[in-house]
Amino acid sequence: MAKGRNFSDIALLQLLRSDEAPDDAIRYLYRSQFGIIKAYINQNNGSDQDAEDIFQEVMLTFIELVKKDKFRGDSSISTFLYAITRNTWLNELKKRGRSKIRDEKFEKAKDSTEIDVSHFIINRELKAQLMKVVDSLGDTCKKILLAFYFENLAMKEILKTMQYENEQVVRNKKYKCLKQLEQMMTEQPQLAKNLKSVLFYE
Amino acid sequence: MNDNSTNTALLIRYMDGELENDELKSVTEKLATDNSLAAELENLRYAKEAVKLYGLKTSIRSTHIEMMKELNIPKAAAPVIGMRQILKYSSRIAAFAIIVLGITVLYQYFTATPEQLFRNNYESFTLHETRGVSDVSSLEQPYKKGDLKAAMALFNQLKDPNAEDYFLNGNAALQAGSPSEAIKSFLALQQKNKSGNTHLFEADTEYYLALAYLHNNDAASALPLFESIYADSNHPYHNKVGSWFLRKLKRLAAQK
Repeated sequence: MAKGRNFSDIALLQLLRSDEAPDDAIRYLYRSQFGIIKAYINQNNGSDQDAEDIFQEVMLTFIELVKKDKFRGDSSISTFLYAITRNTWLNELKKRGRSKIRDEKFEKAKDSTEIDVSHFIINRELKAQLMKVVDSLGDTCKKILLAFYFENLAMKEILKTMQYENEQVVRNKKYKCLKQLEQMMTEQPQLAKNLKSVLFYE
Repeated sequence: MNDNSTNTALLIRYMDGELENDELKSVTEKLATDNSLAAELENLRYAKEAVKLYGLKTSIRSTHIEMMKELNIPKAAAPVIGMRQILKYSSRIAAFAIIVLGITVLYQYFTATPEQLFRNNYESFTLHETRGVSDVSSLEQPYKKGDLKAAMALFNQLKDPNAEDYFLNGNAALQAGSPSEAIKSFLALQQKNKSGNTHLFEADTEYYLALAYLHNNDAASALPLFESIYADSNHPYHNKVGSWFLRKLKRLAAQK
């Protein structure tokens, strides 16, 4: 692996739990894990596009679990990612109606010592639905909310990147945007319920 | 801001850890007793988490694109896969249709009989007008009316039948299911033309004689006549003889 930073499992988990941008960690995981995951998907009826989609899904699930302290390093990261991949892909095959004998065999043949991550596998459609809801907020709202809650930028820093007069205007805008999203939850209780299961793995 | 919006603004600041001292104490106490406020805070937390999840997904997506370039993995083309599947299924259907068609054709080829070829190709001769003869045949009226027995009975009474008599009798016999009688009549007409150096009903006779042979289960005698008609593009019955028909006929002629 010639390029980029290398991480031990402990260092990688520390970075993902911190407020730092996870980009370096994600790059490292692509360099060290993507080939393994792609080979697995390809060997189990999946295309290259499937491998790319599933890997992104696995990254999302893994990082969320680490941030919520649901994965504490009980197994190696590599083993854990492989287990998430297998569960995610099996769910996808079932959804596509391709749960053929080979998939059943796959389930039966699962190593009894393999870690059980099935309760962490959230319906991909559910996640996509929630992403759509956030997407519907509009560019300005997304920019402010992402800067504040995902990039952890201070209002002063956010103001520099936007065309507003002062911090209070940005603060008011942030309030309105979040309120808009909160109202969507209030008006659609099922949406809030779905979001709860996606966000908190409940 | 009204009370509701003031509360929401306070809740957001509470959620973001921006409240201190009295404000923090006040909101904490309200949350303990006001269920609707607590529910609003819960939804605000969901909204915040949804934003964070959206940010993470976006970040993974952009890193993914960057890493696919670095790892030198060509962009997977999902729509092409869909199209491939469509083409795969279409070609399967096409292949299946070709196989069914092929089996049908082979079945027709190997199960064809002279009688079958006759039935598939025979159309009775329709008498519109008398061509090339000076004296009109007495068989015309019964033949036109479809009274085949009467036409054949009349022919048998004739002492010196003309070309049309022979021709109509042959067709009446063929239509009535007496191919051997039809063959006799057509051959007699051909002999009469030959000896008289005439060409009366020549092309019609050739075609209907060939059909009469088929009806008489004699593919070998029918074959040279049909081959001659097929080879002559000016023959009036040329279009009624096809190559596939000839192939089947040749197979039957060879069997005899």
